[in-house]
Amino acid sequence: MKQLQEVARILVTLALALIIGGIIMQLSGKDALNAYQVLWNSAVGTDRAIADTLLKATPLIFTGLATMVAFKAGIFNVGVEGSLYMGAFAAAWVGFTFIDLPGLALITLAFLVGGLAGGLWGAIPGYFKAWFKVDEVVTTIMLNYVAILFTEYLVLGPFFVPGMSNAMSAEVALQAQLPRIISRSQWNPSFFIAIGTFFVVLFMMRRMTLGYEVNVLGTNATFARWAGIPVRRLIVLVMFISGFIGGLAGAGQVLGVHYRFVAGFSRGLGFDGIVVALLGRNSPIGVLLAALFFGALRSGAATMEMFVRIPRDLIDIVQALIIFFIAIDIGFGWLRRRRQAPTEPSEPVAVAPAGD
Amino acid sequence: MTYLSMQGITKYYPGVVANNAVTFEVEQGEIHALVGENGAGKSTLMKILYGLEQPDAGQIAFDGQQVSIPNPYAAIRMGIGMVHQHFQLIPSLTVGENIALGFETRKGLFVDQKTVNERVQALSQQYGLAVDPTQRVADLSVGIRQRVEILKMLYRDARLLILDEPSAVLTPQEVDTLFDVIQNLVQQGCTAIFITHKLREVMAICQRATILRRGEVVGTLKVAETTPTEIARMMVGSDVDTVQLTSESHPGPLQLQLENVSAEDDRRLPVLKGINLSIHGGEIVGLAGVEGNGQHELLEVLIGLRKLRAGTITIGDTNVTAFDGRKRREHGLALIPEDRNHEGLSNDLTIWENMAVTRYYRAPQSQGSVMRIGRLKDAARDLMKRFDVRATSHDTVVGTLSGGNAQKVVIARELADTPRALIAAQPTRGLDIGAARFVHEQLVDLRNQGVGILLISADLDELLAVCDRLVVLFEGRIVGSLRRQDATREQLGLLMAGRTTEQAGVVS
Repeated sequence: MKQLQEVARILVTLALALIIGGIIMQLSGKDALNAYQVLWNSAVGTDRAIADTLLKATPLIFTGLATMVAFKAGIFNVGVEGSLYMGAFAAAWVGFTFIDLPGLALITLAFLVGGLAGGLWGAIPGYFKAWFKVDEVVTTIMLNYVAILFTEYLVLGPFFVPGMSNAMSAEVALQAQLPRIISRSQWNPSFFIAIGTFFVVLFMMRRMTLGYEVNVLGTNATFARWAGIPVRRLIVLVMFISGFIGGLAGAGQVLGVHYRFVAGFSRGLGFDGIVVALLGRNSPIGVLLAALFFGALRSGAATMEMFVRIPRDLIDIVQALIIFFIAIDIGFGWLRRRRQAPTEPSEPVAVAPAGD
Repeated sequence: MTYLSMQGITKYYPGVVANNAVTFEVEQGEIHALVGENGAGKSTLMKILYGLEQPDAGQIAFDGQQVSIPNPYAAIRMGIGMVHQHFQLIPSLTVGENIALGFETRKGLFVDQKTVNERVQALSQQYGLAVDPTQRVADLSVGIRQRVEILKMLYRDARLLILDEPSAVLTPQEVDTLFDVIQNLVQQGCTAIFITHKLREVMAICQRATILRRGEVVGTLKVAETTPTEIARMMVGSDVDTVQLTSESHPGPLQLQLENVSAEDDRRLPVLKGINLSIHGGEIVGLAGVEGNGQHELLEVLIGLRKLRAGTITIGDTNVTAFDGRKRREHGLALIPEDRNHEGLSNDLTIWENMAVTRYYRAPQSQGSVMRIGRLKDAARDLMKRFDVRATSHDTVVGTLSGGNAQKVVIARELADTPRALIAAQPTRGLDIGAARFVHEQLVDLRNQGVGILLISADLDELLAVCDRLVVLFEGRIVGSLRRQDATREQLGLLMAGRTTEQAGVVS
């Protein structure tokens, strides 16, 4: 029942965003219905369209899950983007350094090292939050810039490849390059790693003591401390896991799409994870669906631009509208709770000032 | 002639009738008690009177005129003032500035604080409420702050004062002073509505009492013609007999010991100053004291959330000073925190999740890092039966439970595996009489099973009813220790106000 309600809310949010996006198109003199039809066809109309949708969804599944895990614990981790860069570079480094390893071993190692790099990067602000109460929003935002510029420095300096016009690393070994699954699409097996990660996160949140601790911490941190949950360790661990998944996102892009580390390649995949987590209402399944939805929008947008001459910025508008409606929803939920407060007369603390 | 008349007041909240055709009348110049259990609708009725809520039906007449009260500002203009339980003062401003806030006398663009202060001075003399308008509120004691709140209402020409549980935060001596103040106000022409659940106070200063139960008026009585028992019966709808310890205590081995425990508060000022306390199995030790004398910090120290500056804590034979909260719990410590909504429960989680929090991580409730949720749910179901938690199921979200049931969830969790030592902080705060009685029975049962219990409470009746021994905490020190048989309310009151044992006349 509750789950149905959640799904309904997500659908209403999406519908409203698409309708208003359509009105904007119509106002700018385009045929909105036609545009959406093209969008739909180019997102799921053909095998290739579906493959492209899954390709675009892959990093969003990772970054959405990464963000969600932190949100669940009440930690506003805005640093998934940074972890993604660190993970991407680390995976590329493994890929072009240990070139004598067989394919499967090399790919596994690259993902693990990528995850580890992202995880450690995430654990830094976690440590400062847990031990010194340093606000994680500020530190993670700043560390994003550090990660983006540091990885750029690495490919321009210590790992500079002569003859390369752009800031990019050497190509990873051939056996580390994830194969394309169908022709004429870059869709690759990193999608399945994302799905695997989804199941691991689902299991962790539903069945593992760690997921339970995250729920307690996220719903009431004071209670978690009084109940004896080792909160500091937990915060660092959650930030490590969040960063680890962010690192996997980077590794997946390197091994599956670019085959090398390219400076500044992500352009906000980590931040998109925030939108995905919010639209997915912070549940693993919701995140998966939201990531697929955005994947479809993005793969469809390119074709839409070509065929109906509607700029792909429209997708950004739809995304902004979605954030807007989520914010309204959260705001209303908050208002409702405030209005309902007096129905719980047995909670004098919450009912103040004229407690019964 | 009726001064205030609220007729047929009805107020619905989603799913609840908070007030059902309530008729409430106050005569001019009386002190009228409004009593009832938590959730009986006192608060809603007063919020309607003060303009914070609008009734769904009913009329209000005040001073001979039919009125509607859209907001507190309108109430204030009519001469209705409310003294909230939680003071609405700004600590960094002076008394005079606080009183004038929102109702300033202006001189051009500026507040004419001098005129304000002169008027405050005059009012404080007229009503015998000694305060210095130039003092900062932050430097004042709780009792004085309450005076400032009352003065604030008088400054706004309030003739009808609503006092919301005004004695809850005061020492017994401060309560006496407050009563003098209220009586003085009434002599000077004010009328007072006194919200309370302490029957002793009703008997002491009120002329009439209106009793509410489940949103309806049970009756209005002349205090002189009734007894506390009768009022209590009307409040709960049945005869109440409070739990009273009858059996002698047979103290067993030492279960919890604090030796020379000192700690600092968040501002790094000493807040616990060499506490020595021994609790044996099979006894309930009561810790009396006005709130803010170190109780909260003592709890944090006990559960390992606040560092000791000196001293040791021992549970059984184990020195646990260096242990964190989890390890202390594993050594047999259980704790019912003061504020169940923040420290004792997560209101967004279910009953079973709240009950699991002390044992989810150990076998047999978990296997490695995987929880056995079925077992935890079964355990929760058993505990709900054992502790009479009334809810649809173990999957019910705790935030939807009544205060009494929520507290039972905490108690069930803490007592599930009989502890060596239990610390119960304000365990009956906000509970109705039935639920409070249940809690007391549980404490006495545990004591008879040989558990050592420390009961921290601001309610002397509770302490005198169920404790074997009483100690008093004042400004971070234990200032007195007496057996229950030797303790009187007056002695405890004096100790709570900082007198020494000799001054309090304690023979021990």
